[in-house]
Amino acid sequence: MQRFRRLVAAIALAATATTTVAACGGGDNGDDSDAKVLKLWHYESETSAMGVGWNKAIEIFKSEHPGVEVRFERKAFEQIQQNAGMIINSSEGPDIMEYNKGNATAGLLSSQGLLADLSDEADKRGWADKLSPSLQTTARYSDKGVMGSGNWFGVPNYGEYVTVYYNKDLFQSNGVKVPTTMAEMTAAMDTFVGKGITPLGMAGAEYPAGQLFYQLALSKADRQFVDNYQLYKNPVDFKADPLKYGADTFAQWVQKGYVAKNSASLKAEDMGTAFIGGKVPMIVSGSWWYGRFKTEMKANWDTFLFPGNTLQAGSSGNLWVVPENSKAKSLAYDFIDITLRPEIQDLIGNNGGVPVAADASKITDPKDRKLIEDFNTVSKSDGLAFYPDWPVPGYYDVLVSGFQGLINGSKSPDQVLDTIAKPYADGVKEITGK
Amino acid sequence: MAVSDTVAATPPAATPTPPAPSRRRRGRTAAYWLYLLPGAVLFLLVIGAPLVGTLYLSLTKWSGIGDPRWVGLDNYQHLLHDDVFWASFRNTIWMLVAMVVVPTVLGLLLAAVLFDVIGRRFKPRTAAALRAAFYLPQVLPVVVAGIVWGWILRPDGAFNSLLDAVGLGALRHDWLGDPGTALPAVMGVMIWVQIGYPVVVFMAALQRVDPELYEAAEVDGANWLHRFRAITLPQIRPETFVVALTCTIAALKVFGPIFALTRGGPDNATNVPSYFAYYTFFKKLQVGYGSAISMVLTLIIVVVAGIFIWMQARSERRDRGF
Repeated sequence: MQRFRRLVAAIALAATATTTVAACGGGDNGDDSDAKVLKLWHYESETSAMGVGWNKAIEIFKSEHPGVEVRFERKAFEQIQQNAGMIINSSEGPDIMEYNKGNATAGLLSSQGLLADLSDEADKRGWADKLSPSLQTTARYSDKGVMGSGNWFGVPNYGEYVTVYYNKDLFQSNGVKVPTTMAEMTAAMDTFVGKGITPLGMAGAEYPAGQLFYQLALSKADRQFVDNYQLYKNPVDFKADPLKYGADTFAQWVQKGYVAKNSASLKAEDMGTAFIGGKVPMIVSGSWWYGRFKTEMKANWDTFLFPGNTLQAGSSGNLWVVPENSKAKSLAYDFIDITLRPEIQDLIGNNGGVPVAADASKITDPKDRKLIEDFNTVSKSDGLAFYPDWPVPGYYDVLVSGFQGLINGSKSPDQVLDTIAKPYADGVKEITGK
Repeated sequence: MAVSDTVAATPPAATPTPPAPSRRRRGRTAAYWLYLLPGAVLFLLVIGAPLVGTLYLSLTKWSGIGDPRWVGLDNYQHLLHDDVFWASFRNTIWMLVAMVVVPTVLGLLLAAVLFDVIGRRFKPRTAAALRAAFYLPQVLPVVVAGIVWGWILRPDGAFNSLLDAVGLGALRHDWLGDPGTALPAVMGVMIWVQIGYPVVVFMAALQRVDPELYEAAEVDGANWLHRFRAITLPQIRPETFVVALTCTIAALKVFGPIFALTRGGPDNATNVPSYFAYYTFFKKLQVGYGSAISMVLTLIIVVVAGIFIWMQARSERRDRGF
């Protein structure tokens, strides 16, 4: 009997404690200015440019918010990618989180009311002035979750873009000059082919093929095409330029031996290691390779923008988002503000990253500076055209499959365009209802 | 006349009817159910509830966030007209060849040779070592095996180098990048992965067979092939059913090697229903449609398993002579 009484007492005590704790947590009364904890999640590695920059931002935040505890958790990219909806819909989620930009990710969560609207803060704190229009595209989403217009639901503070990496030593030993036009580019590739060297590294099983196709298409495109393709402003004709030009030219490049016919099954890592190992003189890929090449590559190398293009595949990096359930929204906004300050932006730039609001003159390494200057050139001229797989969920695999067919010769450019047109149209219809 | 009167008026039967189960025996039978309870609860939690949840989701349209929208049988109707879905099932038939037919036949032959020839002419340890060697791929995590085979089969991989080394350099190929060779290449990998399982099961089964049967057959002048057909095959039929059933289920739901090797490409040449369901569910965010694919796959697996079990039971009844 005595044991029974003790049990009842313990249950009662636990129940009281639970209600007390719940009361301490308080409901969402809209005023979180006295929050004492900031739960922060991101998925950058500690030594990456962003990881270094954000560690410093946490330090500054702590010094400016004495008494506030920062509970930082490093998450895996896939963990956030696949579970974000459930996580931030619960009371266990963070107050601020790094999250993927795009319609299928940040756009989807914003359309479900799971992300806080940052528009007022963007105006008040001047974030809108620091980010160029093409960078703002990934920060703003319509009520249907389509990027490019509407309210602010995320803030990027780094960027990325597709460029041409080249092996200076191979260029020099084969007497090839750095091309500045498409004609010079094809002449350079002809020289390499003539010497038995495949000029462009490729990886058909992952994103590089789709990005090369998109870069080629962008050489014949304007902002209106990008808006139509990425933001569904008008229907896109896949059998007309610029997409037709992109597919046709890609096929020609395979036929001429600029791209290896047996690269359909290779992955991006294979392409990167082939470049690091000096097996290919050029690759067309993203600025995310930069830090790795800097660390691992022994040969001399550099970058140049895809010749002749005013539009380049690229965008803001991933976003800081604030879940609607956050209990420390004011603190989260303060943290975002710190990451956009010059000292953090410069730190990202000096560690091989591409900051969105850095002063290039503050970047000490000339090669790092050039990478950032190139990005600033593209960004300021509204030249970021995003990525070809962005428009609809699952389109990445569609493009990979299509361009594998072009590399291994099992499909003609027309067939590939047909293959990628239907899923695009179906996906757009799914999103817009048109 | 009331029914109860009729019953009461009926005289006792001349022959005693079997006694009804006593209360004690009934109590003991009921106690057996208690032992089944944990398993039943676990089944409901781990299999039953998710199955019902998936069935419900398959009747909805849902992106994974927000509220699912009820669409009835729309997803199933869409499936019937989806070329990729049917292509994935055609590929499954080839996976059945690679994961069931070839490993079972080859496994049977290998087990018989290891048991009968190697085991007798050499030390049993030799047969055991070879058996372990065949089983090794089963121990490797399938994703690791997939990555390693991806390296071997890549354009500058070991397989093409081997072709060069033996003077067959003209046959060099991007094995996983060509729709014409990707599926056969994946099938080859799956045969390599699967072969050890039937070898081990069949060798264990062969140890169960009474040696006197073989001795009697040898005295009667039966050669190895005669003994294999007349004794080995009938004696190990139960194990054959088990191997065929488990390998068939594995082939129907194969996912890991496809994910690691080809992601269903190129051009859906190696796509299979489970990868297609995953892609639809997680990449296209069409949770309802992905659930419908999963439900159809589950249904097929249950039906195939049911047919196997029924055939096995019928075979056992025939063996017992009733």
